[in-house]
Amino acid sequence: MLELIAQHFAWAQNPVVLARQTLAGVSNGMLLFLISAGLSLIFGVLRILNFAHGALFMLGALIAVSVAALLPDPLAGFAAALVGAAAGLGLLGAAIETKLLRRIYRAPHEMQLLLTFALVFILGDAAKLIWGREEHFVAMPALLAGGAQAFGLVFPLYRLFLIAAGAAVAAGLWVMLYRTRWGIFIRAATMDREMLAALGVDTRALFTTVFTLGAALAGLGGALAAPVVAVGPGLHVQVLIDAFAVVVIGGLGSVLGAFVASLLVGLVNAFGVLAFPGLAVVLTFGCMAIVLIVRPRGLLGTAE
Amino acid sequence: MKSRHAAPLVAAAALLALPFGLTEFWIFIAVEVLAFALYAVSFNVLLGYGGMLSFGHAAFFGVGGYTAALVVKQSGLPPVLAVACLPLAAMFVSAAAALVIGFFSVRRAGIYFAMLTFAFQMLLYTIALKATPLTGGDDGLTGLKPPGPLAQPLAYYYFALAMTAAGLHVLHRVVSSPFGYTLRAIRANALRVQYLGINVRAHRLAAFVVSGAFAGLAGAIFALSNGNVFPEWLNWTASATPVVMAVLGGTASFLGPALGAAVYVVLEVLISGRTEYWPLAMGIIIVIIVLLMPEGLTGLWRTGIVRRGARAAPLPTREAR
Repeated sequence: MLELIAQHFAWAQNPVVLARQTLAGVSNGMLLFLISAGLSLIFGVLRILNFAHGALFMLGALIAVSVAALLPDPLAGFAAALVGAAAGLGLLGAAIETKLLRRIYRAPHEMQLLLTFALVFILGDAAKLIWGREEHFVAMPALLAGGAQAFGLVFPLYRLFLIAAGAAVAAGLWVMLYRTRWGIFIRAATMDREMLAALGVDTRALFTTVFTLGAALAGLGGALAAPVVAVGPGLHVQVLIDAFAVVVIGGLGSVLGAFVASLLVGLVNAFGVLAFPGLAVVLTFGCMAIVLIVRPRGLLGTAE
Repeated sequence: MKSRHAAPLVAAAALLALPFGLTEFWIFIAVEVLAFALYAVSFNVLLGYGGMLSFGHAAFFGVGGYTAALVVKQSGLPPVLAVACLPLAAMFVSAAAALVIGFFSVRRAGIYFAMLTFAFQMLLYTIALKATPLTGGDDGLTGLKPPGPLAQPLAYYYFALAMTAAGLHVLHRVVSSPFGYTLRAIRANALRVQYLGINVRAHRLAAFVVSGAFAGLAGAIFALSNGNVFPEWLNWTASATPVVMAVLGGTASFLGPALGAAVYVVLEVLISGRTEYWPLAMGIIIVIIVLLMPEGLTGLWRTGIVRRGARAAPLPTREAR
């Protein structure tokens, strides 16, 4: 029995496997963070759980596919894809907030959930109509395609790049939230938006900008993920489910919580695949259920 | 007195006579309507009366479906006994699931309750997906047939009609009882009800279990008619179905969600027969309901269909917080 267990966990003594899975887990965690940070911010400020966030991520990846195909130079194409996806999704986000969400802030919860749920179906089918049902692939720019050698191991450069990009976004969000006037408004809105409005802050504009930012982050995440995933219909489903688990584990409305939980879920997925093949999804939801039962507000969330 | 009994009698007669005007395909659809009507009404006992938005109700519909499938496939009971066992087993197992999920979920209200129920539904979904020996995994349980005497579509229609009618009757008794009025009071002001010395959490849990049990019965009815149970029944895309039906019909009336279910199922049949983009159509329908007719079809009836400025109509009675 013990031998069987030891055999089952033999990979745990293999530094190459450990390094590879850690890198994959952390870099996937960073992608998750780009989605869940926006999801969490939007919930904190707008009090709306945006089911369509995974669809925004998928659209970001699809826009990246199209933009990258436009330019002959792969590096320029990749850079343009990142900018284009973030900008395109930012615009779409602004449109969704001003045309749809703004009408239902005072409506009951089920109306809000239904509206963002409807967006999942609409955006999902719209993506099929525009980009077709097949899966697309984006080539990595040659600059990021290789591997870096250290400690006798090879690390894929693109994974390192993803980690750097995620860390840069996290740092940027921190500066924005804690060092700018706008960030003060956002943090105040997560605590008491009526009070914020009463103090003369234009919360309408704040809501629009927060949703735009969240959508742009999701779009950027999709574009960054495009070279390492198969971009096609259905991409948004797994992404949404993971991001949802992340914000629940980290605490709704907490960006730092989203960061910690993203890394956690990324690593759980990466090692769960090895330890319990086929059960990684159960592990994610197991984590979520435990957090919900033991600490319903999430690791770093504040009480209702 | 006379007019009060007239409408239900006419409805009952119409439902009894209905299959004689329908082809076999539409009898099959009528069974689906009945199952989803019970499902939507059971869901709305929570939302419309208790003010609890369960976003994981598909869990109980799915559990009921799987239970029925297992009774038919694995139990080896003689057909007549199986028919008798089916509804009871489906309701019992879904009620048990609702008791466990509800125990953890009713501690929270509002959007957090919705998320908890949603998370538990996803947990059950992954179990349905991975517990292959029991659930058939990805492939689900297929090739189901209603036991013995119910194998004929017409017979099954009357079985489904009897089950749905009994279910609706019990649910109506529940919401018209003192318990039902306490639920409404909890929806209006839970804190105040608590101050009156009533155990709010226990009432919420009881409502959740009752609602889950009848959602399970609905799932069982549909499973045998459909012939298959798939894990997709518990997937997150299924969470919105009862919500859409209830809101489409109108959450403020007892039978509104049943009407919503009928319209939804028929629309799905008509639209998905013509295009593969049924989700797109459903998304657009949901947006229209949410933005233009938040009180649903029965709400339109009550406030007058042609009244101008329908969006200015008072918001649903539940507090939007």
